[in-house]
Amino acid sequence: MIVDDPRSHFIFVYHPQIFQGKKYTVRQGRELTNREVLDYWGKWLVFGAKDRLDELAKALDPYVEAEKIPVIKYDRAPSKNLGIEECVFMVYCDYRDRDEVWKILTEHGVKLKAWVTERETMELWKPGGPLLERWLESQNMNKVTKFLIREDAGARLRYIHEHPDEAFNPWQQ
Amino acid sequence: MAIKVMVPGSLRSWFGGSDEVSCEGATVGHCLDQLGGRFPGLKDRLLTPAGEIGAVIIFLNGDNVRQRQGLATAVSNGDEIGIVPLAAGG
Repeated sequence: MIVDDPRSHFIFVYHPQIFQGKKYTVRQGRELTNREVLDYWGKWLVFGAKDRLDELAKALDPYVEAEKIPVIKYDRAPSKNLGIEECVFMVYCDYRDRDEVWKILTEHGVKLKAWVTERETMELWKPGGPLLERWLESQNMNKVTKFLIREDAGARLRYIHEHPDEAFNPWQQ
Repeated sequence: MAIKVMVPGSLRSWFGGSDEVSCEGATVGHCLDQLGGRFPGLKDRLLTPAGEIGAVIIFLNGDNVRQRQGLATAVSNGDEIGIVPLAAGG
């Protein structure tokens, strides 16, 4: 199911039961813990123009419905404030399933092979991390708001590290 | 030893307009050295003044080379290097 809300920067491809409480950080019927997300969760990156990625989302939607791919998120427009000139399409899965997901992507024309772990992503977006700081720089915010955003990001990341055995709760985006 | 290097469209201009080029070398760093000789300014875009990986993520067969030996990561015939903007990793 493609969720395209113009108020969001991202377009999502979810399982249709996502709004009935179905989680996507699940493997073999069990929710991943925070530790497992840090150890195994990640995404394949795909790059392209928005119209091409819209077509790819439509083509991959059946795989999400069939639970072969947990979730997909992609840019509505290039994140030029972060220095990217094309849209990024992120196909999330567990590392232990990534080869199967990569095979699906290659069958749909993806060639550039780029796997980014959730742990790496968190490093980029932690307080002082290059992407959080670059994003804050690009926003018209005062120092207090920037401080609060850094605090919030730090607290969320700390919580994940300090509660390794709790079920992971994806962040709202 | 032929190594394929692939980049997304937004980095094509760094590679003479191609999104796929080939190179040779024993490590990722050797490959970048060779490409730097063919595409002026490329190494300044990829690496910091200290010679470390900068505003990009470099993958070898899909995995971030930072998780291996960075630029010293060994490459073999048929391997694929991918280079993407760092910001895409978010």
